[in-house]
Amino acid sequence: MQLVQFLQVLLLAAGCVFFAIGTLGLFRFSETLTRIHALTKVDNLGLGFIVLALLLGVASLAVAMKVILIWVVALAASATSAHLIARAVRSQDRAGTRGSERND
Amino acid sequence: MSAVTTISARIGLLLLVWWALTEGDSSGIGFGLVVTALATVISLRLFPPAKVRIRPFPFLLFMLFFIGRSVVAGIDVSRRLLSPSLPVNPGYLTFYLSLPEGGPRWLLANTLSLMPGTLSVSLDGERLDLHCLDTREPVEADVRLVEQKVAQVFGLSPNNHFRQEGSQQ
Repeated sequence: MQLVQFLQVLLLAAGCVFFAIGTLGLFRFSETLTRIHALTKVDNLGLGFIVLALLLGVASLAVAMKVILIWVVALAASATSAHLIARAVRSQDRAGTRGSERND
Repeated sequence: MSAVTTISARIGLLLLVWWALTEGDSSGIGFGLVVTALATVISLRLFPPAKVRIRPFPFLLFMLFFIGRSVVAGIDVSRRLLSPSLPVNPGYLTFYLSLPEGGPRWLLANTLSLMPGTLSVSLDGERLDLHCLDTREPVEADVRLVEQKVAQVFGLSPNNHFRQEGSQQ
């Protein structure tokens, strides 16, 4: 039991570190799209670690599935919203550079 | 026949979701059945049964591949972020997909958004625009590999389009 708790602490800490790094990406990267790279991928990993930590302490299979479901839905939401923001940024860029040279 | 399989698979999956959401408590199952039926109807409206279906076992393998790669993705971005010189070289790359329309392309685009160094910007027919964190990385090989894995999930035979991994655009 002690070992499981130790592992949980380790995984939770790792998850928080990755969330912090993802947020750091917001400040260090200068463009919207590179910021999204940081937020989607690093936060995804952070959430993965936290879910793994919670899975070690679940009471039943149903609760475990619920936690995994949260992870899957968060992943789908993060990928979809990243795609939508990226598409919006691209079309804005296009509208801004219309008339000048196009660098596709 | 294929539609019946799809519908029963979706009902089964949604019941499983309900079971997980209620944490195995059976007192609300009447309400759960109604919601499951409604959700199935909505899902059939939004995503009509297609010719290509997800195969459960390859999908499980794909999930393992995906989890492995997304760990690499997170560590890759963290490493770049934490190094003082901030080694990124962002840019757009365009690929032409050989996967069929609908589910397969959608799964590929969304998976690539969570893979190392790539972010799906727009998916227009078979043309996929990616934003890459570092265009010096072998992005082409990565995309083709994921494309091949997605084809396996849907039980598509890897045709010769998938065999050009070594070639440059």
